[in-house]
Amino acid sequence: MILQAVLNGILFGGVYVCIGIGFSLVWGVMNIINLAHGSFIMLGAYITYTLFTYLKIDPFLTLPVSMIALYLIGYASQKYLLNYIIRASIFITLTFTFGLQILIANLALLLWTADFKSVSPAYSGEGIVLGGLVLPYIRCAIFIVALILTYLFYLLMARTKTGKAINATALNLEGAKTVGVDVAEIYARTMGISAALGGAAGALISPIMTINPFIGGSLVGKAFVVAILGGLGGTMGSFAGGMALGLAEQVGSFFFSSAYQEAIGFIVLVIVLIFRPQGIVGKRFY
Amino acid sequence: MIKLRDKTYKIILLIALLVFALLPYFTSGFWTRLVTSIFLYAILAQGLNIIAGFTGYAAFGNMIFFGLGGYTVGILMVKAGIPFFPSLVAAGVVGIIAAISVGMPLLRLKGHYFALASLGAAEGLRQIMDNLTGLCGGAMGLTLPQMAGKPAQVNLSFYYLIFILLLVFFAATYLISKNRVGYALKAIKANEEAADAMGINTTLYKIVAWAISGIFTAVAGGIYAYWFTFIEPATVFDVMIVVKLFVILLLGGVGTVMGPLYGAFIFEGISEIVWSRFLNLHMGILGIIVILIVFFIPNGLIDMVRRGFRVRAILDTIREEKV
Amino acid sequence: MIGESILRGMNVSKYFGALKALEDIHFEVYRGEILGIIGPNGAGKTTLLSVINGTLPITHGRIFFKEREITGLRPFRVAELGISRTFQIVKPFPGMTTLENAAIGALFGKTPEKKMSRAMEKAREMIGRVALKGKENVLVEKLNVSERKRLELARALTQDPEILLLDEVMAGLTPREIEDIMAVIQEVNRRGTTIMVIEHVMKAIMGISKRIIVLHHGQKIAEGTPDQITENRQVIAAYLGERYSRRLEEMSHAGN
Repeated sequence: MILQAVLNGILFGGVYVCIGIGFSLVWGVMNIINLAHGSFIMLGAYITYTLFTYLKIDPFLTLPVSMIALYLIGYASQKYLLNYIIRASIFITLTFTFGLQILIANLALLLWTADFKSVSPAYSGEGIVLGGLVLPYIRCAIFIVALILTYLFYLLMARTKTGKAINATALNLEGAKTVGVDVAEIYARTMGISAALGGAAGALISPIMTINPFIGGSLVGKAFVVAILGGLGGTMGSFAGGMALGLAEQVGSFFFSSAYQEAIGFIVLVIVLIFRPQGIVGKRFY
Repeated sequence: MIKLRDKTYKIILLIALLVFALLPYFTSGFWTRLVTSIFLYAILAQGLNIIAGFTGYAAFGNMIFFGLGGYTVGILMVKAGIPFFPSLVAAGVVGIIAAISVGMPLLRLKGHYFALASLGAAEGLRQIMDNLTGLCGGAMGLTLPQMAGKPAQVNLSFYYLIFILLLVFFAATYLISKNRVGYALKAIKANEEAADAMGINTTLYKIVAWAISGIFTAVAGGIYAYWFTFIEPATVFDVMIVVKLFVILLLGGVGTVMGPLYGAFIFEGISEIVWSRFLNLHMGILGIIVILIVFFIPNGLIDMVRRGFRVRAILDTIREEKV
Repeated sequence: MIGESILRGMNVSKYFGALKALEDIHFEVYRGEILGIIGPNGAGKTTLLSVINGTLPITHGRIFFKEREITGLRPFRVAELGISRTFQIVKPFPGMTTLENAAIGALFGKTPEKKMSRAMEKAREMIGRVALKGKENVLVEKLNVSERKRLELARALTQDPEILLLDEVMAGLTPREIEDIMAVIQEVNRRGTTIMVIEHVMKAIMGISKRIIVLHHGQKIAEGTPDQITENRQVIAAYLGERYSRRLEEMSHAGN
């Protein structure tokens, strides 16, 4: 019944927040739409899969590994590649990140084959039932971890020196340069953080989604919707966006056939873009 | 350094025109089909060029017109028994109507928002088409009637059909680039606010640009449908088509008239090499190629040739774009 | 020859959220005059021009051009009716040459040229008038600030506007260049174009304007001839502060 749909929406929402938060960060700070973000998530999932399958380590414990690995990948991509084309037109940056995405997907294909993989820890199917509502353990755990990560991200942006530098750079590039911020380095760290969050998202979705090298595309699509719905400024924005998407999908498929789910999603997206492009929270910048 | 002077250039073009006009008569069916395919991509790229290259609106969802054109021809021929040419004209009309309908809400968005909203529209339509099994076979696709005649004859017909359309569309693009409309579009791309203040009705021109893009793309889609005799939403609404078009434009020169044609040839050449040697890695190679192109020759290979392949020019471009 | 009222603004207000960039401005511009607009930074001068030509949507108020209401019209419509402008932060069309930039002005606007050749001719003429001759085929990215400002002016001129809105055309120019531009502006005015000019270069604007409007914090605090304005206490206060204007007043009273 509908309450279950709402509950599922909230739990799913947590995942979406994770998927979208890194993407929004890069878009908001550097005005880059990183189509490779989906591949970052995909890699995070594969890392978790590999550690789970070969070393039998629980997915939630290997999350930090995914995060660190992806931080390095993101940092390097920005520092040695993206920083060099960052002021070019959208044509170029979009096409570039698309190229990057298919390159990473192909590498994943080589390393892990196209077979669908999954991560199924022992507690997979179980959950608790509270007053008629089903609360699967995994989804609850994912939700809680997502919340923790979001809070940590908020602290990072608001309290640390790097976070403040990122904010400054986002608000005023020239100004930040003038006061001595090493913008290239900050951009690299921003992408690193974004990728790390993507990696975390990948680790989190691995127990609930089948993994293959090509999930990057639909994942970045979701990230985009989260970014638009929530607005590009702020942790709160991404949080609102993720929750909104989760709820909209779950409650939506309650009323409409899931066959048209994506079409409806996109129509809603276009409507939001036209009438409230600044998103639900609508604040510019962190 | 190679400097192509106007007269030499015109002579080369004329020779090329003659060669292509007579191509099917001195090559095998394989080459004829290959060049037909290149011309098709060139038309699609030119369509994208008008809205993205000239006007600056990166329509990542431009394949929406390709699919609509293909399905218009398919549905009219299969369900209503209408012959090919009238159906093709209808496809063009559908292209215009679609561009205007989607353009009115979406063209007021800027930059990335527009790019991805147009992608969203295309994806949404794809999903809807996937579900319309009654009308057009849904996700299982639609099979069109075959053109009557021997394979060699059919190849010839399609080759010349596409060749003539290529000439018509490219000539149209050339005319546009040289007159008021072309300048209006370039002004919009260069600085939309200033263009508006100078008296350019930006909304109107943007929609006109996308409508032109729509016709080119939809007609190409209609021909594609009849040529391959089978279409399905997954292929004709595939975003990879547009990605390839962006690469073609980057290779040949964004916002130039002949760029789409050169780019299509170069891209096809690279594809052939890559496909035959690196089947497994072809996506990865495409990715690397995209990255290299974007890095080193964002103005296209032709521009590079014109500038004489100077390393200095490459480095200058990179320095301008660096953070 | 100063004629009848050609542009009128009533209760013109522009708010950005809680910020009142323009508050209840009434203004009148007469055909054939050069009207100067001055005021400290942030007074709302550019906002006023932007609201007139439609670049910014007006919040309250109405604007009439030759008795025809133009409130809320899109910029291109305003340009077609005969009002052209330059921007404070110049907006050239990158990727195109100086000639092409100026020609675009000629291709659109009140009297759009349909033929490219005619547009190019007009463009050449205006380029000559702003002393940019010789730079026709240079890409605008390669022009320096002064040249870009002059191109901005040329581009607006090719539209043969009835009213020309100039936003700090002289900022960043050398004294010699300022004199040259002043001459161009006066020449344009002599040929019949009404001009509204925003400037910070006092000598220039006082020199060419018949009347001046002073804005401060979004309000019109004074209006009159250049002489009247320089004596106006509120204007002095706005520029130099309350204390100084009071002292000046005391000093002038003491002198009497």
